[in-house]
Amino acid sequence: MQRLKAVLGYTGAVLTVAAMLVMPFVLFPLFQRGVAATGVEVDPVYTGGGIARTIAKDGYRIIVNQPVRSRALLARPAAFVQLAWAPAGALPARITDEVDLDGDGRADLTVCFEVPADTTAALFVDVTPAGDMVLPLRRVSSASFSALIARVGDRIVVRVPLATR
Amino acid sequence: MCLAACGPVLLPWLAAEGAGLRDTGGLLGQFLAGRLAGYLVFATLAWVLGLALPLPASANAALFGVVHLALAAALASYAGSTLRPRPAACPGGLSAPRSRALAGRFRALGPAALGFLTGLNLCPPFLVAGVRAAQRHSLPGALEFFLLFFAGTLVWFLPFLGVSAVRRFTGLRTVARFTTVLVAAYYGYLGVITLGGALLHAWHDHA
Amino acid sequence: MPGTITPDAAVRGTAGRSPVHSLLLTLPIGLWGALMFSRSLELPGPAPKLAALLTFLFMIVLFFQMMRTKETHRWRRIFFVALGLLFPVGFIWDLITLRGSMSIAMGQMIGGDTPFCFLAIPMMIVPAALTKTLIFPGSILPTASNPHAVAPMIALWLAATLVLGKGWCAYGCFFGGIEEGSAALVKKPRIRNVDPRWRWAPWAVLAAVVLLSAATYEAVYCSWLCPFKAVTEFPEVRSMQSALQAGIFGSLFIGLVLVLPFLTRLRTQCAFFCPFGPFQALSNKLSVFEIRMDRTKCTDCVTCRRACPTLVLDETSVARGRAGMSCMKCGACVDACTKGAVRWHIKGTPLTASPETARLLYLFPAWAFATLFGGSIIAGTLTKLLQLAH
Repeated sequence: MQRLKAVLGYTGAVLTVAAMLVMPFVLFPLFQRGVAATGVEVDPVYTGGGIARTIAKDGYRIIVNQPVRSRALLARPAAFVQLAWAPAGALPARITDEVDLDGDGRADLTVCFEVPADTTAALFVDVTPAGDMVLPLRRVSSASFSALIARVGDRIVVRVPLATR
Repeated sequence: MCLAACGPVLLPWLAAEGAGLRDTGGLLGQFLAGRLAGYLVFATLAWVLGLALPLPASANAALFGVVHLALAAALASYAGSTLRPRPAACPGGLSAPRSRALAGRFRALGPAALGFLTGLNLCPPFLVAGVRAAQRHSLPGALEFFLLFFAGTLVWFLPFLGVSAVRRFTGLRTVARFTTVLVAAYYGYLGVITLGGALLHAWHDHA
Repeated sequence: MPGTITPDAAVRGTAGRSPVHSLLLTLPIGLWGALMFSRSLELPGPAPKLAALLTFLFMIVLFFQMMRTKETHRWRRIFFVALGLLFPVGFIWDLITLRGSMSIAMGQMIGGDTPFCFLAIPMMIVPAALTKTLIFPGSILPTASNPHAVAPMIALWLAATLVLGKGWCAYGCFFGGIEEGSAALVKKPRIRNVDPRWRWAPWAVLAAVVLLSAATYEAVYCSWLCPFKAVTEFPEVRSMQSALQAGIFGSLFIGLVLVLPFLTRLRTQCAFFCPFGPFQALSNKLSVFEIRMDRTKCTDCVTCRRACPTLVLDETSVARGRAGMSCMKCGACVDACTKGAVRWHIKGTPLTASPETARLLYLFPAWAFATLFGGSIIAGTLTKLLQLAH
């Protein structure tokens, strides 16, 4: 029994050495594929949720995402809907757009923001609700994950908090 | 949801107690009784206020902030009573019998107080239940709704009995007590932010 | 005191090895290092090649010394401190080059550009298990703007854990070397008696951040408690909350990573705070390597306990004859013991089995990992410094 335990011990030790030798060539790519294959996704609070619809405008488009409601049970951030204006390079100097969020043909809010030529300049957004679906925003930059305006790649993303959590 | 919402309070506290299965069940029972009391108080408030004008958002937030702060104080007080080494009798300080009496008093009230405050602590299903209760036609109806809500969520607390299995690991009890301090600090921060934000909004609205 | 006691090698039975024998034992690591750094030869310019060569020689010389002196801790520490100092330099350099700032803007977070850090792993498990979502503002797979994505980092950590167990904290963690360097600055500790109950604090931090992260769907440790945000990146300070967070990060870094290690000669952030340590300690159960005490040789002189940088060794563990679950196998206690009582050991083998064999079988994979991972980070930073010099 003692001998068997010793053999197992040394075998384990040698296997550890072997595992290290194959780590960069076998273990690492295998585990990386495994993680990706689990189907996990980054929390929509960060990604903004899936695309619901796209509204074509003159020279650009507005991408409306699905509403995102946090799964948090404590300190819950407000639910929000993400809108994106793309491509950022084709936007006029000032955007004032009415947006229909739920596709019922009626505008739910009006979004206003300036698009500075300097891509590193801070952005500010005003949102005026047309109904009771969203909350108003006054000169908001990046208050929280639920209320912000930011450049993301070649898009300008606006997040508007929903009136209900 | 019940596990995740109440877990940060319940798990460290039960582990810190280091009680056997029966005693853990007793503590959990006291906690749940306090929680039920919290629910019934809230049911009453929700129904009464549902008849009146809706509470302003800042008043809601202030209430939540106060509850969080009270929960933080309760947890910190409990952690302090278990982490501090028992003092010998010393002039000018607490005598050992007096500090034991204080700790004993906490032990009698603590579980129920934690349960009461957690009951008032507003998890999403609880909020929905609150809205439903406010819409009931009578106070007994609102109370009945919350009683059923309480009964329905009771089963999710049974796994907490498993905490009694860790009592033989003295290190884990120390860990649990430290964890209680950290969770108390978090609730304290949450309370300050929520209450501070509510007071700021109210001042803004009046100004 | 770690690394400064010179034990009686004859009594310990660990007299040095001959240079030829040491060179032969270093050869496998040399071949491994050559293979790992050979990819740098394909990079343009002389800087990456020179950096690779310097790092290769650095790692080889340290390993050679480990073989020659039969000591581990003081040579490992040189590598570890170098890693702890050079990683932030290279990381901050990349941030300034890519973004112009150490702070990360909201737009970058929602764009998935936050580099992933292994410290977030414990907090992500419960939410990922319940809802298949990762509570981290990064990318699953590498992108042009974020090469440090979630999947490769988790894969690397998993593979390293399989090989090293908690040895990650002694050979892999690119933050621990900062404290280890601070602790090594003085010969004698100014604070000697630390309440042993503080050893349980990291477990409490782990429990609290896991519970609160599951309830808030936010990586609480990363958002509020990570001291290393002070030398990597942090959210833009644009509100009271973010200012408070930045204040906490800075205070914890100065206190736990610089000042307390200097005063106590301990890795205080690791010993009393870092939640990743206890999380990693769970994997020590899988490792076949451990530190044992031969009670027939032990004289209870407490030298090993004083040498341990994370207070893992206490009266109970020494009496039991084995280091606790949180042992990171840095080798400090083994090197400090003047009686040869503390030794490297392979589980299942007799206590009288050759400790040097156990040490070698552990050191080969550990140093191979250090060369692969830490070595690449060191070479990367050296490349940037050499390019700057040109």
